[in-house]
Amino acid sequence: MNTMKWLVKREFWEHKGGFFWTPAVIGALMTLILGITMIAAVYFGSKHGIHINGAQVTNLAEVVDAQERAEMVTAIANGYMGTAAPLFMVMGFVVFFFCLGCLYDERKDRSVLFWKSLPVSDSETVLAKVATALVLAPLITLAFATITGLMSLFFICLAAAIGGVNVFGGVLATAATWLAPFQIASIIPVYVLWALPTVGWLMMVSAWARTKPFLWAVGVPVLTGALLSWFNAMFDFGWNISWFWQNIVARGLLSVAPGSWFAFFDADFGANVGPDNANLMMLVGQSWSALTRANIWIGAVLGSAMIYAAIRLRRWKDEG
Amino acid sequence: MTAVISARGLTKRYGNTTAVDNISFEIPSGRIIGLIGPNGSGKTTTLKAALGLVSFDGELKVLGLDPRTHRDELMEQVCFIADVAILPRWLKVRDAIDFVAGVHPKFDRAKAERYLAHTKLKPGMKVKEMSKGMIVQLHLALVMAIDAKLLVLDEPTLGLDIIYRKQFYQNLLEDYFDENKTIIVTTHQVEEIEHILSDLMFIQDGKITLSATMDEVGDRFVEVMVSAEHIAAAKALNPIDERQVFGKSVMLFDGVPRAQIAALGEMRNVGVADLFVAKMKGTYA
Repeated sequence: MNTMKWLVKREFWEHKGGFFWTPAVIGALMTLILGITMIAAVYFGSKHGIHINGAQVTNLAEVVDAQERAEMVTAIANGYMGTAAPLFMVMGFVVFFFCLGCLYDERKDRSVLFWKSLPVSDSETVLAKVATALVLAPLITLAFATITGLMSLFFICLAAAIGGVNVFGGVLATAATWLAPFQIASIIPVYVLWALPTVGWLMMVSAWARTKPFLWAVGVPVLTGALLSWFNAMFDFGWNISWFWQNIVARGLLSVAPGSWFAFFDADFGANVGPDNANLMMLVGQSWSALTRANIWIGAVLGSAMIYAAIRLRRWKDEG
Repeated sequence: MTAVISARGLTKRYGNTTAVDNISFEIPSGRIIGLIGPNGSGKTTTLKAALGLVSFDGELKVLGLDPRTHRDELMEQVCFIADVAILPRWLKVRDAIDFVAGVHPKFDRAKAERYLAHTKLKPGMKVKEMSKGMIVQLHLALVMAIDAKLLVLDEPTLGLDIIYRKQFYQNLLEDYFDENKTIIVTTHQVEEIEHILSDLMFIQDGKITLSATMDEVGDRFVEVMVSAEHIAAAKALNPIDERQVFGKSVMLFDGVPRAQIAALGEMRNVGVADLFVAKMKGTYA
């Protein structure tokens, strides 16, 4: 277990830019932009008022009743983490390129010979990389997302307060506000299982490719899909080509995008979620209900098999 | 004493080419072995097989373990520098020490730090800011602080200047080597290491052409600067090599009694480099 800790630390040192600085900088930029926007909005709002339903309002307190205020509190408490969504989208890219490079770069710069001179097995090394991608990266991103979310929550509440509606007390007294980061953390196990096929595929290619891992990883499934589509059209086979594109190509390459499971299941899966009831608890529940689908488990099994292949490749591939 | 490495019928093929051709050898512990061979002779492949980095045919035991199946256990006892300057560019000195201390049960942190204190390396320095010589110093500091039974060095000083090279072997000899350790080293700069070697192994075209202790080498091979009048007599003794120095013939004899040779001219012990060149004649022809 101690070895595992050091291996993950090692990955963090090497990829600090992607795993730490990327969310840190994006979070800081978003906070800054939001802050400036709010200041500007408050400034112009106080000067010219804002238009609500065609009426000019300079003091929000005049038009917001108690019920609306409660709704505002609920919406802010449930939605503030949503402002940090770009951090998670970027994390998808970071994890993708981490997996694609992690077993290729060490062969390219020959540092694999150094790592292999230490009493660390190939399984431990590869599994530490998987853990870094699927657990460490989401946790760090979540930490920065929480900070970013709380900053935007502060700005929103501040703007509302300047506008005449003080929701600070309400928002801070709502359990949902404080639960939100933990609710998102509770989705991480779903993410781990869901992302396994993409992580496995990328790491397998990373351990195998002599050159250009990106071309192999993306080119092989996409070209296969294109060829199948072409055959299908040419000879009128009547294959269900979109199944292939969705369940092999997209599922194999894009599953590291957090929340991508919502895009893969039928319409009814996320049907109850709309802008008006974007309840975090509901997102969590629905994410977990993905575990009732065979798709996620088949993907996890295939992903694990490809990770095993990556371990074998790292053990035996001779770089000459 | 049990052998550190014992090979029987060790063979490695890459497609149609045979890199290591059915070789057998034993390396006892407490030795410093120079594994010398031309480029592509199979020395790196042999070492890679011993380190469990490639598959092979035949039998090979390192410290009694099969490197194919027990590599992870083996790496607690065996350490290697497989190439020059392969530490990852992003690694900091401090982190390198922390990491090896974290994963290696036989790493002596104080020893590594003591050694680094004699260099210009600073804890916060990254590998990419270092010269090649400094990278090797860091690598050596890490390796020397590991109490391994076998250390394998494959061209550890290639491309370094002579100051770093001398220092490297001096440190190895003074602060690392003892009778419980075994070092195998390959290098093209044979002259620089011959005085530290206890054993010599020549490898050519995947076969071992010479395996002897340095004492045996000194007994067996002798070089004579033959005077002009003795040339015919000297040739009759089948020298394995002949070259001209200042118009005189220098001949190299293998296993000819010294008493017989003494009359031919001035005798001297042969250097490993000259012996190597003589033995490898025709390698690139």
